Amino acid sequence: MSSVAPAQRFVGQSVRRVEDARILTGRGRYIDDMQLPKMLHGVFVRSSIAHGRITGVEVDAARAMPGVVAIITAADLEGKVYPLSIQPEVPNVARPVFTALASDKVRYVGDPVALVIAESRYIAEDARDAVFVDYEPLVAVASIEHAEDSSRPNLFDDIDSNLLYSENRDFGDVEAAFAGARIVELTLRPQRVAHVPMECRGGIADYNAGSGDLVYYATTQSPHGLKLGLSGALAQPADQVRVITPDVGGAFGQKAGLQREDAALCAVSRILGRPVKWVEDRVENMTSASHARSEILEISAAVDEDGTIRGLDANMRLDVGAYPVLPFPPSFLGPIVRTMMTGPYHIPALRWANTVYATNKASYGTYRGPWAIETLAREALVDRIARELGLDPLDVRRRNVYTAEEQPTEMVTGPTIEGIRASEALERAAELAGEQEFRAAQTKAREEGRLIGLGYSSYIEPAPGPPNLFPSMESGLPPERAYARLEIDGHLTVTTAQAPHGQGHETTLAQVAATEMGIPLENVRIIHGDTQLTPFSVIGTGGSRAATMASGAALLATRSVKEKVLEIAGHIMEIAPSDLEIVDATVRPKGDPAGGMPLANVAGAAYFAAPPGEDAGLRSSSVMHEPPGGWSGGTHACQVEVDPLTGVVEITRYLVVEDCGDLINPAIVEGQIRGGIAQGIGIALLENALYDEEANFLAGTFMDYLVPTVMEVPRVEIEHLHGDALHEVNYRGVGEGGTIAAPPAVLNAVADALGGVEITTLPMTPERVLELIDG
Amino acid sequence: MSIEVTLTVNGVTRTASVEARRTLADFLREDLELTGTHLGCEHGVCGACTVTVNGASARSCLMLAVQADGADVRTIEGLLEPDGSLGVLQQACADSHAFQCGFCTPGFLMTATELLAENATPTEDDVREAISGNLCRCTGYESIVQAVMLAAERGA
Amino acid sequence: MKPPAFNYVAPTTLEEALDARAEHADDCAVLAGGQSLMPLLNLRMAFPGTVIDLAGVGELAGIREWDGGVAIGAMTRQRTAEGDALIRERAPLMTTALPNIGHAAIRNRGTVGGSIAHADPAAELPAVALALDAQLVAKKKRGERTIEAADFFAGFLTTALEPDELLVEVRVPGMAKGHGVAFHELARRHGDFALVGVAAAVALEGDKIADCRLAFIGVGGTPMRAREAEKMLVGAQPSAEVFAEAAERAKAELDPAGDTHASAEYRRRVAGVLAQRALAEATR
Repeated sequence: MSSVAPAQRFVGQSVRRVEDARILTGRGRYIDDMQLPKMLHGVFVRSSIAHGRITGVEVDAARAMPGVVAIITAADLEGKVYPLSIQPEVPNVARPVFTALASDKVRYVGDPVALVIAESRYIAEDARDAVFVDYEPLVAVASIEHAEDSSRPNLFDDIDSNLLYSENRDFGDVEAAFAGARIVELTLRPQRVAHVPMECRGGIADYNAGSGDLVYYATTQSPHGLKLGLSGALAQPADQVRVITPDVGGAFGQKAGLQREDAALCAVSRILGRPVKWVEDRVENMTSASHARSEILEISAAVDEDGTIRGLDANMRLDVGAYPVLPFPPSFLGPIVRTMMTGPYHIPALRWANTVYATNKASYGTYRGPWAIETLAREALVDRIARELGLDPLDVRRRNVYTAEEQPTEMVTGPTIEGIRASEALERAAELAGEQEFRAAQTKAREEGRLIGLGYSSYIEPAPGPPNLFPSMESGLPPERAYARLEIDGHLTVTTAQAPHGQGHETTLAQVAATEMGIPLENVRIIHGDTQLTPFSVIGTGGSRAATMASGAALLATRSVKEKVLEIAGHIMEIAPSDLEIVDATVRPKGDPAGGMPLANVAGAAYFAAPPGEDAGLRSSSVMHEPPGGWSGGTHACQVEVDPLTGVVEITRYLVVEDCGDLINPAIVEGQIRGGIAQGIGIALLENALYDEEANFLAGTFMDYLVPTVMEVPRVEIEHLHGDALHEVNYRGVGEGGTIAAPPAVLNAVADALGGVEITTLPMTPERVLELIDG
Repeated sequence: MSIEVTLTVNGVTRTASVEARRTLADFLREDLELTGTHLGCEHGVCGACTVTVNGASARSCLMLAVQADGADVRTIEGLLEPDGSLGVLQQACADSHAFQCGFCTPGFLMTATELLAENATPTEDDVREAISGNLCRCTGYESIVQAVMLAAERGA
Repeated sequence: MKPPAFNYVAPTTLEEALDARAEHADDCAVLAGGQSLMPLLNLRMAFPGTVIDLAGVGELAGIREWDGGVAIGAMTRQRTAEGDALIRERAPLMTTALPNIGHAAIRNRGTVGGSIAHADPAAELPAVALALDAQLVAKKKRGERTIEAADFFAGFLTTALEPDELLVEVRVPGMAKGHGVAFHELARRHGDFALVGVAAAVALEGDKIADCRLAFIGVGGTPMRAREAEKMLVGAQPSAEVFAEAAERAKAELDPAGDTHASAEYRRRVAGVLAQRALAEATR
């Protein structure tokens, strides 16, 4: 049997997913599938008004119902859950202090006021309906305009306005860029959207009164972040808090950090000394879990007549709802948006302003590609520039895009640009889209009264970004860690800080580790999601870091274990470790397929009789820092047909040319791209987490909040670019690009179909499109 | 009020006493501990709770357990072969990387099971139409469509 | 989201069902297919004291010939009706409309009578019943009456049924053999409730329209027949111009309401567009 070079064995192949054995057979274990002995059920009583003072909570009738164990209010949690706020304090950012359960005020429809604990979910809901909360209603702050109106009340008594934060920054020589230049401007007012993971939030808090240990099973994407939050909120020592994640049914950024409900639930378990389960229903998820997007971005470009963009002036205004999602301060989004504002273009100047307000709405949270407004606004603006200058939008992009020759270089906001193929992706996308042929077809269609359009969007995403990305934003993330351990039978356990929720890390990390170690894929087990076992990471899974950082950490940890194995084997076999290799779980002299010994034997020897000076544990811990490069990106192209009489938009073709380096598992990469694009299409055409002028929430069910079905998502054509690697770990993230780049691609296509109209709001409902056609 | 129901679930006869208001979904998940069927919305839109009742797909969140009295109910757990190996549809999904987080999976599989029983040679349009009532937030659907087509090809 | 508690009755005969309905008249809900009632219960938007499950009343399901048309038992599942040859022959407008109802799983459980009795103005079957001048047979403990479709839909989710009555049968008169039908609706997504829709049935005599039915969904509290437009079309030769004029006349008869998905004006306008498309298809 020929020896296959280990480096090629599993990575690069679409190996079947480890997760599917349980996913496809109904044997997944999601939070609501779990039952613990003596477990109780918790249901939150939530505010039905957007803003008001709580004047009374009547619980007696509910408490008396059979099967009801307790009704917990803020008063019951005093001293048990500390007031919550952003820690540490961020300079110049207003810092609301609030409680897990609303105490004096409610500040959005869905604000949790009480927690009903009962023997069953059914009984808990009955009791919830019997709890009556008296409010003294206050005028609602339902928009940025309201937040700026000083006649409206402040949300927090100790913060003297609803303005939480503002920033102004200049990058590069803005004055020179705009002096005497032609200005093209656009204001984007996109809608609020919701993440809508198919599985809602939830947890089971299990406090052991005997030992004082708290275990919280939670559908979370950041178990250590959650543990940290709980430890602080409950004054529960960190060594006595353990977060365990079961299977997680999607998150997209909504299940990050500490939710107020988590703190309340754990406190109640500690009070009662019994496990308590809370799983929100879909109405709660739509209403009370976080929302995202809805940034208003006024952007203008100083341009030359040939389309060269001399500088950008961007002003972002954002209302973040009533409560921050800990640990994200109200100021968290601005630095990322401003850093990414120039995207894949070598724009040398940026004026940036950002203002953040509190409103009586659900929290603004991180949603897959949180900074996406920069691509939406910039790519819409590029097409507007083309329109106003009488240029082809592709030519404007060509005029400004980073070329291979000019790299490495730096964005005006700081991050190093190296290894991106933006120019190549642009050209290839235009070629695949059949730009010339389409324009001819478009003219002919117009003569027939049909409206078809083609739009592009180009983007780069930090996946994970270059080493100087976070310093450019005046922030930082710890490096990624992983552990590896060779088991006594020669199998390998790799423990990751990731908390997967559909990304297939149990498979991809195993592919990397198995390839490095030289053992069959099924001999590798990936451990994740238990804070007792896993290395610390405040972010868990998010930020498109896994492909590089987690894979790299897993690779390094495995390599380190392998080196120890070869040391020990070399000692046993009396051969220099550098002359040994591991192939198919056999440690053997290089080029000698017949020789060697089973890896299991080496492991056994190490466990029982390690050579003097050797660590018998055969385990390793490793750290991965951001390698150079770190960007993924590409160009999306979207074709649409618009019904001129009804305004209905149909996407007739969608293609992506992108570069995310090497693919550990091509099928998994494609799945990430397609899923992100589906969400982007939802943002462009369908989804709207809508509030009215009194901050009543209008999209609490799936009848009103429209998630794309298969019929609204076309078959996306995907082409990958490959180039020279800048680093051994040449896998880059791809999870967020689809959600970021699809909305502007669709917007530009619709604008193109309508002859270059200015589109400033999303979603592009049939009615809005018809108005644009009329206008 | 409590009512006795007898039904067949994945070929096994089950009898229980249930509250009238207990949904079929909760009955399957909690009383029978068949947690493979998932609750994504409980108002009949997302389809994650889809099972088959007498061979016809049904949203189990929109049925009372008592309505399934005397019925033959099948869930995702019933798709395995008698020897415990994956059924044709399940294997096609594994081979096609159909799913990601897995929460929507039971609904898609039961919907596809109904489709393939009625139409052994569906076109892609047939498949898309059939699964248009199931929401997935992770995949963008293409991998699921291809998996069902592959299953049909293999004689599911 | 769990239903509130209720008293559950599962009659096995029509008589038992009518007794139960009489007994609990003001505080009960009828469970037919459950596809409309269960979401209301799960969302705790309805709190009936008693739920009467009609699934066990076998005599309420079935499809039979009736007076040149077809009579459909109220508990006939939508999926059954969808594939039925007699309905396709005698009431093809219903056959054309049925696949627009939600998705297969909804139609497997949903019933013809349940949808009509629920009277959602965005639903397909009430509009079809109205278009085809269906006769709705209502029974109560002591009595039976037949209600014309034109008199049946009283308002939003409200019918002419008394609290102690049950809809037992939908009788659809036949139209002239060979008549054309079309059903067009505009929904935000495939299978959603329509924002606005049109059910059209047109019978020609020679090259002129002899009988024309035009019913709209999503244009008011109830489905609407555009009777003035219909009158205008009878005797006319089908043409784009005639259809455009009829559409304008129909639009004037409609009084849609706006909501977060579409304004009244948009619904009215698109109603006109769909009417023209439906009439063109029905006369092809």
